[in-house]
Amino acid sequence: MNKHHFVCVVLALVFACASISAQPSQEVKPETREITVYAYDAFCGDWGPGPSIVPEFEKKTGIKVNLVSAGDAGQMLTKAESEKAAPIADVVIGISNEMAGKAYESDLFASYASPMLTDIPSFLHFDEQNRLLPFDYGNFAFVYDTEKIKDDMIPHSLADLTLPKYKNKVILIDPRTSSVGLGLLLWTIEVYGEDNYLSWWKSMKDNALTIAEGWSSAYGLFTEGEAPIVLSYTTSPVYHVTYENTTRYQTLLFDEGHDTTVEAVALMKSSKHPELAKQFIDFILSDAQLKIALSNSMYPANSKTELPAAFQYAPKTEKNLTLDAKTIEKNLDRWLTEWEQVMSK
Amino acid sequence: MGTKKENIKTKTLGWLSIPAFVLLFLLFLIPLCLTLSNAVYSAEGGFSFSSLFSTFTSPYTLHVLGFTLYQALLSTLASVLVGLPGAYILANYNFTGKRLVKAVSTVPFVLPSILVVLGFVIFYGNNGILNRFLMKLFNLSNPPLHILYSFKAIILAHAFFNFPIIMNLVSTYWEHMDYHCEQAAQTLGADSWRTFWNITFPRLLPSILSACTLVFLFCYNSFAIIMVLGGGPQFTTMEVEIYRRARVSMDNQAAATISIMSLLVTCLLLVLYTHLQKASVQREQFTSGNIKSKKTVQGFWSKFLIFLYSIVCALFVLGPLTSVIVRSFMASSSRSGALQFSLKWYRQLFGLVKGTGNMGSALSALQHSMAIALLVALISIPTSLTLATALKRKGFWSSALELLGMLPMAVSSVVIGLGYYLISSRIHSSGYIMVVLAHLIIAIPFALRSVVPEYRKIPPNYLQAAHTLGADELRIFLTIEAPLLKNSLLTGAMFAFALSLGELNATLTLSNSNIVTLPVIMYQLIGSYNYQGACALGTILIVISVTVFLLSEYLKGKENG
Repeated sequence: MNKHHFVCVVLALVFACASISAQPSQEVKPETREITVYAYDAFCGDWGPGPSIVPEFEKKTGIKVNLVSAGDAGQMLTKAESEKAAPIADVVIGISNEMAGKAYESDLFASYASPMLTDIPSFLHFDEQNRLLPFDYGNFAFVYDTEKIKDDMIPHSLADLTLPKYKNKVILIDPRTSSVGLGLLLWTIEVYGEDNYLSWWKSMKDNALTIAEGWSSAYGLFTEGEAPIVLSYTTSPVYHVTYENTTRYQTLLFDEGHDTTVEAVALMKSSKHPELAKQFIDFILSDAQLKIALSNSMYPANSKTELPAAFQYAPKTEKNLTLDAKTIEKNLDRWLTEWEQVMSK
Repeated sequence: MGTKKENIKTKTLGWLSIPAFVLLFLLFLIPLCLTLSNAVYSAEGGFSFSSLFSTFTSPYTLHVLGFTLYQALLSTLASVLVGLPGAYILANYNFTGKRLVKAVSTVPFVLPSILVVLGFVIFYGNNGILNRFLMKLFNLSNPPLHILYSFKAIILAHAFFNFPIIMNLVSTYWEHMDYHCEQAAQTLGADSWRTFWNITFPRLLPSILSACTLVFLFCYNSFAIIMVLGGGPQFTTMEVEIYRRARVSMDNQAAATISIMSLLVTCLLLVLYTHLQKASVQREQFTSGNIKSKKTVQGFWSKFLIFLYSIVCALFVLGPLTSVIVRSFMASSSRSGALQFSLKWYRQLFGLVKGTGNMGSALSALQHSMAIALLVALISIPTSLTLATALKRKGFWSSALELLGMLPMAVSSVVIGLGYYLISSRIHSSGYIMVVLAHLIIAIPFALRSVVPEYRKIPPNYLQAAHTLGADELRIFLTIEAPLLKNSLLTGAMFAFALSLGELNATLTLSNSNIVTLPVIMYQLIGSYNYQGACALGTILIVISVTVFLLSEYLKGKENG
């Protein structure tokens, strides 16, 4: 009999717990000085900038911030859109330029000409209405192992990588399963145009050692010494300098320029406390810049931010390439399908 | 009279399984249907089957489906070829370390695939241990073995994961087979080869086929291994397509459509699996008496062959696993220095030295993981027991329900992930409770797999005897059935424990990254270039899993007398 009771008690407990935790936790009280901020998971996690910058802002302004971890960047936008009838968020952080088209289309975001924008270089700016405000950016780049690639072997362009001497020396990443991989696909389109990018991929197909499904596996193969060149970010060497005290891995700067990914913060039209939300956005664009750049491993958008010495190993590119958000949204699926056809032959 | 009794039985025991079914329904079926229903609703809200139809007839998706089935078939064949000799040895011979062999061979199954990929690369890679050893031995300047980044690497890695499944399932079945028929055949003058081919093999066949179906299912849903070790997009599987549509193209309709197509195939496989499994159980009743006595290895050639096979398998399985363990004891002491022996990562892990970066959270991750896994294991016992009461009877409903219980095993992790996301965004809860429940759903099929066949083996005359003596259904359940199933329940719970400990995908999709478990930290460590630290955590995972599986082998041993 005891066993039977035990079964019931355990199950009852499970359901009780589930239903307690299922109670909606956020109730917006109009009187309090509180805003709700949606950010992608990595921003809110223990290793993201969220946990350190939010208390700082709260202390400085006395405004309470309810930071909600809303999935990856795509899910975050979907969530905000699905709540249109009863909006919760005041601010959304982490919409990238690849998703900007979808963001404008959703009509969720209000214009805000933040005073901080004057310190942000114009190539980072989104639309003229400032519905999306850039807070950090990064460049995709190839990183190489100086012990394996001697100075006379260094490639200087995407075209160089297709040469026979780099056969089985390059690790790429799949654009269908990784944002870094997608970055390279867009990068080739920016450099070669829609008509010719596929021929780069065709000649690259046999030169690449493998096309990994994600950045983690690709970089793992690279540091294991499987191949001396890998697709990553210009900022990747900073880690090795800071934590391993080695300059063995370095960024390759290409003459053609590099694809740029820009992350934006945006004010919701539906916000009931636009003034408080604006204060938070200004804070993100100024005081929080260094912390965000460090933990996201990106460059700060605000050019007044002073970076630590290790960042000299994250060289900035001469040319920042981007594609128009609408073009990406309209064509991405077709590009991926074309790419898939070429690569699976 | 008889019908009335049947009714009572269904009522009482059916009631017992309700909470477990509600759990399955809430945590699995609803999110699954939410995701899949996108297939028939267009973005504008209209209802149509056109998307379904076009996907099912598109040459491209059919090609992807074809490749997915092809690689799964080859991988299954390879696993059988490697696994069957092992099953023969385990079933027919006694040797020291047998339990350890079984326990270790199960470990790859519960490791996050990213760690397995890493282990494979460290061991088989161009710059791996095997190649460097051969280069030194024969004084070569280039790595002689090009195993990875080709189609054969996919098959190799899948066989690595799955041959232990064939080995363990078939050998367990083989061990418990009644030996009468074989004895009869030999009395009638058949030699041992003929006996095997005409008697033993046909009797083993259902169990081999059922193990194969299981392996086929796992290879069908494989993803990271195919892409990283296979060398790229020429090898595209259904899982990759689903991922692309859902995450990159953000086209939920297309993702749902392909999921449905994929799910139809896996459901067919599951139906086949449950059918084969029932067939194998029904043929062989509980035999406690006439089990073939085990030989010790005798004769030079059999000794030699067994030795050779063990060496090859050990190299095959232990190579990548040991690579992970060895790597965890390495750290570079100086600026770009070579790797040397060091306990640095373990000191950080156990908080003796303050951990750098993500290593700082490693200890609490270990504690969380243990707590979650323990809870999952504990809850899995009543859940699988009560579910099994509903499943053990024959009939259409129990088959359908069994399929439901096994379904989490067959659904792609991307689809489950999407579903979980939909649920957790609706109820504003993504704490540890959700993680426990999600792990439970993932573990249930495996716990059931351990319990249901044993349940079906309970001879009906035990229950009839109890009836005659006046026991009611509940009492029979509690005093006869449940105690008989004690060990298989514990085995199931231990498998649930190990699975939960190594679970990464669902935890990552579900959690708002405030949740730290061992695999999550491992993933973060790899993400921040600390492979040694990740390997140290992986080693802890390997050690705990081996211990747990050893315990479960010990329990099985006790059960078999």
